Amino acid sequence: MMTGPSRLFSDAGGVAILSVKLVAAFFRAPIELAPLMYQLDYSGIRSWSITALTAVFTGMVLALQFATGLERYGGDTYTGKLVALGIVRELGPTLTALLVGGRVGSGFAAELGSMVVNEQVDAIRALGADPIKKLVAPRVLACIIALPLLTMLANVVGILGGLVITMREVGVTATFFFSQVTDTLGAVDLLHGLGKSLFFGYFIGVVGCFVGLNTTGGTEGVGQSTTLAVVNISITVLVSNFLLSTIFVALYG
Amino acid sequence: MDEPSEATTGAGAPNPVIEFIGVKKAFGAKVIFEDATLAVYPGETLTILGGSGTGKSVLIKMLIGLLRHDGGSIKAFGQEVTGLDERGLLQIRTRIAMLFQSAALFDSLTVEQNIKYPLREHKWGTDAEMTDRVTEVLEMVGMPGSQKLKPSQLSGGMRKRVGLARAIAIQPEVILYDEPTTGLDPINVRRINGLILSLQARLGVTSIVVTHDMDSCFTVSDRIAMLYDRRIAFTGTADETQTCEIPYVREFIRGGRGTLDEDVS
Repeated sequence: MMTGPSRLFSDAGGVAILSVKLVAAFFRAPIELAPLMYQLDYSGIRSWSITALTAVFTGMVLALQFATGLERYGGDTYTGKLVALGIVRELGPTLTALLVGGRVGSGFAAELGSMVVNEQVDAIRALGADPIKKLVAPRVLACIIALPLLTMLANVVGILGGLVITMREVGVTATFFFSQVTDTLGAVDLLHGLGKSLFFGYFIGVVGCFVGLNTTGGTEGVGQSTTLAVVNISITVLVSNFLLSTIFVALYG
Repeated sequence: MDEPSEATTGAGAPNPVIEFIGVKKAFGAKVIFEDATLAVYPGETLTILGGSGTGKSVLIKMLIGLLRHDGGSIKAFGQEVTGLDERGLLQIRTRIAMLFQSAALFDSLTVEQNIKYPLREHKWGTDAEMTDRVTEVLEMVGMPGSQKLKPSQLSGGMRKRVGLARAIAIQPEVILYDEPTTGLDPINVRRINGLILSLQARLGVTSIVVTHDMDSCFTVSDRIAMLYDRRIAFTGTADETQTCEIPYVREFIRGGRGTLDEDVS
């Protein structure tokens, strides 16, 4: 059993190999619509509530902290601008990815892990099909489609949460708040966040599936895979968020 | 420990359908096979016996490329399978079907959808033809009318039979049975044994059965191979196996237990 850094590198290599096979599977055969729709429902639509809940409280707490923090310098009227930027560029995409990653990625790992220990993945191959195409492709694609959409939802709900608290704490009008938001946010900011969420969607799908497919050790292994998926997805999202942000900032400011 | 069966199948026998020659396999530091050699001839039912953890299932999973071998040669229908890519293996898998130990039915699909799965993948025919085929194979395994049931509604024995129906749906020439009777009650054991025999008689398929169930072994086998010490230590007919002088084989057949390290994985 590998531990620590060697495990990390071998897993990263495994995920890279899975990605190559996945791209090959996309090119080799048309995507099956029914499993994709099912996964879009499971990963996307059913994640809306957790996304909205996270976003509204994040927007509210962000507004609260900025309002009280900036008041010391007489800058509390800038709260709306900072909330909008913080949500759209960082917290919207990242917290959505962490929450949805935990929810969906653990589900993938548990489901595929159970299929591995029950020999169903072997059966798919023995019956002449490709588990990458059958199991991994619809899940990863669904996440890539769903995450930007969920992030947009998080942006809207987060800013609305910020609005309520800013109005109460700073005493601005909704009109003033929205004019600040629209003045501050440009296309670059939106694309910065949504661009990252595309990658996050991909990582959630591919890491969750990778961990599930590499399950060993019966039902106990399924439990371990589920935990491992959440941890690995969270780490991947947090680290890649910094790297992607660095690149995007360098490119577009 | 030569192979007495070579004399019985000997000269003039047809070419083997399946051949393992000097196969090596290890999982990390654990060596499963050092030099496994075995031939399976057309139309026969060969049982591979061996204790738990001796790699019986590994051997048949390597045959259809579910596991990769580390050395030696594995041939099916005269063709080397070890170097094949997934596309090449697909051809092999249309001719060699496998019944998994856990039956490995897809939980989210009905019995009918499970059986149609390989038919779809191998573009077997129109939907109506596939539906007819499902009816046909379900009757063969004694489960007519169960099309709409989900695997969770089936007992262990029924799941095995549906798994078998799914395996034979595409009319394979070889069927691999991984522990077909393990975990079943005596009536279901007899039923599965009966199915193995009747499929051989009706369809003329070649079968490889992996088991440690001695009753099942002597009921269905034309020949028996014994896995011991990381290779095939013995092959012979049922009679030859009964009279075999090799201590481990005798021990195994008598059901002796608790004295051999190899029994414990």
